[in-house]
Amino acid sequence: MPPAEGAFRTQSAQSKRRRRNRATKYPLSLVLGAVLVSSFLLVALVSFFWTPYDPAKISVPDRLLPPGSDGYLFGTDKLGRDVVTQLMLGARNSLYVSVLSTTVAITIGALFGLFVAGLRPFWQGPLTRMVDVGLALPGILVALVLATKLGPGNESAILAIIIWFIPVAARVTIGPAKQILALDYVEAAFSYGRTRRFVMLNHVLPNIAPLLIVLSSVMFAAAILIEASLAFLGVGVQPPTPSWGRFLSEAQPLLEAAPYLMYFPGMAIVLTVLGFNLLGDGLRTILDPQQARTGII
Amino acid sequence: MLEIRDLSVTIGPHQIVRIDALDIAMGERLGLVGESGSGKTMTAMSIIRLLPDEAEVSGSITFDGRSLLDCSDSEMSKVRGKDIAIVFQDPARALNPMMRIGRQIAEGIRLHMKMSKEKLQAKVLSLLAQVQLPDPESVLRRYPHQLSGGQQQRVLIAIAIACDPKLLIADEPTTALDVTVQEEILRLLVSLSEQRRMSLLFVSHDLGVVRFVCDRIAVAYGGNIVEVGPTDEIVDHPQHRYTSALLGANPGIPASEHIEQFVGQRLEVIPGSVPAQGSFPVGCRFRNRCDAATEQCMSEPAVTELAGGHRFHCWNPLGRSVDAATG
Amino acid sequence: MRPLVEARGLHFRYGKQRSAEAPWTLTDLSLQIRSDSTLGIVGESGSGKSTLIRVLAGLLNHQQGDVEFDGRDIRDWLTSSSTDLRRRNQIVFQSPRRSLDPRMSIGRSLSQPVRALDHRKPNSDELAGWLDRVGLGSELLKRFPHQLSGGQLQRVGIARALSVNPDVLYADEPVSALDVSVQAQVLNLLMDVRVQLGLTLVMVSHDLGVVSRLCEDVVVLRHGVIVEHGRAADVLAAPQHPYTAALVQAARTVSLK
Repeated sequence: MPPAEGAFRTQSAQSKRRRRNRATKYPLSLVLGAVLVSSFLLVALVSFFWTPYDPAKISVPDRLLPPGSDGYLFGTDKLGRDVVTQLMLGARNSLYVSVLSTTVAITIGALFGLFVAGLRPFWQGPLTRMVDVGLALPGILVALVLATKLGPGNESAILAIIIWFIPVAARVTIGPAKQILALDYVEAAFSYGRTRRFVMLNHVLPNIAPLLIVLSSVMFAAAILIEASLAFLGVGVQPPTPSWGRFLSEAQPLLEAAPYLMYFPGMAIVLTVLGFNLLGDGLRTILDPQQARTGII
Repeated sequence: MLEIRDLSVTIGPHQIVRIDALDIAMGERLGLVGESGSGKTMTAMSIIRLLPDEAEVSGSITFDGRSLLDCSDSEMSKVRGKDIAIVFQDPARALNPMMRIGRQIAEGIRLHMKMSKEKLQAKVLSLLAQVQLPDPESVLRRYPHQLSGGQQQRVLIAIAIACDPKLLIADEPTTALDVTVQEEILRLLVSLSEQRRMSLLFVSHDLGVVRFVCDRIAVAYGGNIVEVGPTDEIVDHPQHRYTSALLGANPGIPASEHIEQFVGQRLEVIPGSVPAQGSFPVGCRFRNRCDAATEQCMSEPAVTELAGGHRFHCWNPLGRSVDAATG
Repeated sequence: MRPLVEARGLHFRYGKQRSAEAPWTLTDLSLQIRSDSTLGIVGESGSGKSTLIRVLAGLLNHQQGDVEFDGRDIRDWLTSSSTDLRRRNQIVFQSPRRSLDPRMSIGRSLSQPVRALDHRKPNSDELAGWLDRVGLGSELLKRFPHQLSGGQLQRVGIARALSVNPDVLYADEPVSALDVSVQAQVLNLLMDVRVQLGLTLVMVSHDLGVVSRLCEDVVVLRHGVIVEHGRAADVLAAPQHPYTAALVQAARTVSLK
């Protein structure tokens, strides 16, 4: 079996397929992801200024109207509130929790990862193992414990997600950072007197930035899912603040009477998480070929 | 034994390889020399049809009477490793790090031949001895990382010759090795080729290495073979200016008595650098770096054939009287 | 005349100092480099040649022995005047693509040493001048490494090293990663700037042909030990040590001359 260099495949002479010139600059995942994510963001942001109905307005006579009813596009819930409005506000909550927690987690995690990458092996080993231990922590469990101690709500959810994601961000950073530190241009920087700190922030960080961007989009997705899960379990944000996860749990007993109450929040979660994952995938694809020419990822 | 005619390899809009004729006789060692962008590796890969999906190939490659480009994938996989074998540059990457040496060699054999376990074992040991690895019994059981670069390359050669190929393609086999180890591997390749009457296509950027190993040398530039001929002819009486420039650019160690006078002496330089694909000039691809370029060079040079199988493509060759650049 | 760089009984190894099993990369190494000379450091993989120049340039700390630059112990330089040490010793690396930050423009990369050591931003005339010195045009300043060829990148690396007017230029296999036709250009460039700027050039190479062309003196390293040293013409023409002889013979086998 002759070893083959790179990703070559055999060429069938009989079926000389003419390869279409791949003029697509933007991969499908990126486009689709961007559309989904921007829809999500749009909806969440718009909810600050306008919703079809007053979210606090309860209208018991209008309860459990099916989707398509007069003036209620997605129907109403058990208290007569418009589902569309509730979904928009749920988006807002998801946005708030995921942006805050992801941003903090990546910032702290990446900086810590950079720090560990620059250590001498004597210290680097144990600290990397420590990060690995952090990775092994069961996130949901931590979230539940925090909810018990601090009370349910967004704060404990955000804190839990941060604690959960910091080791992830750190671990993801350490490997590539170490690789970059071994490169000649870093050695060159030391040779003309740059400090470790300068190198970390000006040479290493910009070169792992694409990696972190991709990571953050995936983390957003996970954070939204976690927020929804905690709300579903009842330890997330409490009523009356809307949350997709809680809609799901509240819709459970009404599954037969009003199944749509489960579909809409469920779809919202699925589409948003999918959107972020696709976006992350797409970003990695377009950022990759550039980087492949120049070094790391 | 191997005849390449009108070979063209195109990837996207770029023609990576354009060879009108190239032959390798049985038992002959042909060196294919070029820098990056010369198409030398692509040419070698098109012989065994290990090209990227996007590559379009046309022309004919005839091996022992068979047309290789018309073979189906399954027919081709019977040819690879058995009739035509290949050795690559980086042995560490070509060997499976998780598999013992003995097993990797055995797998290569089993793919093409049926053999009892004892015979297989004996053959593997014999191969290891043929590539001059000391203590074959022990090497059998080792993992690649336990061998040095030179030893790993010997193992790759053993795998390659296991099924007695008629043609061995070696793509920069010694580039990643130290110079003393390189000499050993080169001598090994020459002796294997001679003992087994095995043809060798030696692809390299190093003209000195190729001169040591090969009977004939083909010089590639921009996907074309600009000159081909017997080694001594090419080295002593190059006709194409790129060949001559390559000879001059490679410093090499001068003879002992001349070293003194060469210290600090500037080297002959080919102006500019190899253009990127798609930026080659029309006509002779070398003309914008050639100091003898004329208007005629805007059309592709016809082939000129000299005695002894020395062929080149140039409108303004150096002529017989000129000796190789001594730099 | 006092040598510019001197090592006496130098021992170096990677890894923890206390671990007794870590082998010495450099053992009991002594050499002298005269100002304004060209020295070739020759050896195969594992010889320690790349490590040696990094120790001499003050990038790695040796465990035993003395290293002196311009008459002063290098440890002394590093504690009290490291900026000057760095300014006077610069390195050119083997891989052109890896020696420049892919996210920095050529101009920005080029200005780094002066920014770091002189604490000032070089103006565009200076930058253009440095590029011109290595045969490159100023239009490259705005471009990024992936837009340049290997040969151009290597020239930029040399220009960057020369921007602070060092006394010693250490070159670690400066042409090994380049095409043959480009190698000659860069070697010529090194020869030219050495003469123009009065540099001391210390070049690591496995290629005896390159060394014989550029270097007056040569040092042969094997497993971290100097097995032979002297004038290049002498050592290469009539090697005394069997290892040197083997290297020379192997090099002649594939040499065109």
